[in-house]
Amino acid sequence: MKKKNSVFLIITIPAFLLFFIFHSFPALQGIFYSFTDWKGYGDWNFVGLKNYLNVFKDERAGDAYLFTFKFAIVATILVNIISLLVAIGLNSKIKFHKTLRAIYFLPYILSILIVGFIFNFIFAHFLPQIGDAFGWEFLTRNILGNPDLAWIGIVIVAVWQAVSFNTILYLAGLVTISEDLYEAASIDGAGVWTKFWKITFPLIAPFFTINMVLSLKNFLMVFDQIVALTGGGPGKSTESISLLIYRGGFEGGEFAYQSANAVIYFIVIIVFSVIQLKFLNKREVEN
Amino acid sequence: MIKKVTAGVMALTLGASLLAGCSSDGADDGKTTLELFSNKSESIETYKELIKEFEAKNPDIKIKLDAPPEAETVLKTRLTKNDLPDIMSIAGNATYGELGRAGVLEDFSGTDLAKPVQPAYIEMINRLVGPETEGTFGLPYATNANAVIYNKTKFEEHGLEVPATWDEFIASLEKVKAAGDTPIYFTLKDAWTGMIAWNSLGANVAGEDFAEKKNAGDTSFADKYDEVADKMDTLVQYGHKDNMGVAYGDGNNAFAAGKSVFYLQGNWAIPEILKANPDMELGVFPMPVTNDPAQNKLVSGVDVLLAVSKDSKHKEEAMKFAEFMMNKDTAKKYIDEQKAFSAIEGVYQENPVFEGIKANFENGTITSFPDHYYPAGMGAENLVQEFLIKKDKEKFLKKMDSEWDKVQNR
Repeated sequence: MKKKNSVFLIITIPAFLLFFIFHSFPALQGIFYSFTDWKGYGDWNFVGLKNYLNVFKDERAGDAYLFTFKFAIVATILVNIISLLVAIGLNSKIKFHKTLRAIYFLPYILSILIVGFIFNFIFAHFLPQIGDAFGWEFLTRNILGNPDLAWIGIVIVAVWQAVSFNTILYLAGLVTISEDLYEAASIDGAGVWTKFWKITFPLIAPFFTINMVLSLKNFLMVFDQIVALTGGGPGKSTESISLLIYRGGFEGGEFAYQSANAVIYFIVIIVFSVIQLKFLNKREVEN
Repeated sequence: MIKKVTAGVMALTLGASLLAGCSSDGADDGKTTLELFSNKSESIETYKELIKEFEAKNPDIKIKLDAPPEAETVLKTRLTKNDLPDIMSIAGNATYGELGRAGVLEDFSGTDLAKPVQPAYIEMINRLVGPETEGTFGLPYATNANAVIYNKTKFEEHGLEVPATWDEFIASLEKVKAAGDTPIYFTLKDAWTGMIAWNSLGANVAGEDFAEKKNAGDTSFADKYDEVADKMDTLVQYGHKDNMGVAYGDGNNAFAAGKSVFYLQGNWAIPEILKANPDMELGVFPMPVTNDPAQNKLVSGVDVLLAVSKDSKHKEEAMKFAEFMMNKDTAKKYIDEQKAFSAIEGVYQENPVFEGIKANFENGTITSFPDHYYPAGMGAENLVQEFLIKKDKEKFLKKMDSEWDKVQNR
């Protein structure tokens, strides 16, 4: 037994080392530098909590938090509704369901930058033409150029791409449900709606939990989609926190300040994930 | 078992450090190898030719050209490792200022090499380093220009003449608009393109020493930029239907296809426009910002400057290369191929497209890009873009001030 344990331990060492060197260590460094005035190079001094206090006074950071949460909550809800629907459809006995599954998974394989540029073209050229042809005033201009609508464009692209992955997770959950349950329910005279709420949904509750947590976390860290679509504009209306940290930290020479911002954001994400898990797990048990 | 794994890891780390050790320069065949670092992918071919010419004249010197993507980030990381390239060909912007203040570059002030450079450009890069550090740590080499580009065919159709004052400029925009044509093609989806007009206006209205005074607390955007904001607002009214929705690349194509009469861009856009429409006849003029033609200057910045590392082991050879580059014939060759302008006195861009701004270079009526002196973290272009949408002047100017101060305080 003892020997077996040490083998397992050895197996974990390379992964642990890689993780520590490329992930934990830089993260710890970031936390360390958040208490300094380091610019990314050169000399530095300890400044205590000054960076943290400045983040709370920073209007730009506040706006970024507001935008990111608005975006993440809307996108999470949409992704979960749509992917659950798609998964139920793909799980039923329709023709070509295997081919369809592959097609629905395609967006996940494409690089976000490529997807972003394709949608950029759609928003800039294709939709305005449709708007012109049908006389829909709101569509005749690029919605990414409108500070009140640009975030919707990003939601569309992010959801379009994220649905594929969540659909796979839901499908995996749906497959675990035995056919017998539905047959028994049919005999008892249950309709489609009742079957969904009384059988399907409770039985895939763990998948619902993990999908909610994963997608909220992913959307809170939104970055590539925004870079590809708007670059944070127009104005600063679509500047997410990750983008702000990157911009300020690497391009603006505020490495230490944005490290403090990143540490705060890290804590916020953890708190949100824990609350979500607690709440959703409780629901699973009740069901 | 554990030993084996540890040995493996050790071997890996060792291998990595060996690899890192390999990158030091090897003086193999008695030749001196210099590293030339460039931040422009556009000039690689030109540099390769010039290097060949130099190596033919100096057979004992070899030059290795390094032009990586994300060059400024690469340079900054090499600065932290105390491993600067021997010669650097970089832009005159905030990164140069940082290198200058860090004291790692050779000081050229008062040397023969710096003599033929137009004094305006020397001043420009000195101001980037700031008043606390004395010295000229680079040789301004090639420069760019912020201009109004116009479609000559359309210009003549509308019976226009090159405007010399702001009122004349607005009158011609008005005339085009009245004729049902689009005066200016804006590409404000890319926030930086708004800075072309902003820089022309800011440089001529607020003055060249704005950043210095602002840092000293003697002036503010609210004080000096009121007129600039008003004029920006006026210009945007002469745009097309979707000013905020079109990006730079699409804008170049649209302008090349004759969708507007004027286009506010820099000289770098001209090769792109001509790529889309090789037969197009283009002209340029400096944006007339005030109503006094004598006051209107062309905004031009240092696109390329040559710097030499202070700790280079081969400083003498590096200086030889700098001398070769500063030679008038070499400089002429460089700007002809790059469609740029030269910082060296007496070397002019003869391309007929640039006829309209040639005089500015000859008599030195040039001024610098104001936003090169803004603190890098403030994100001015997005604030300007926001203002052009919301048009809330007072709030915008206040925000420019507060963002500037905030970044300075970090």
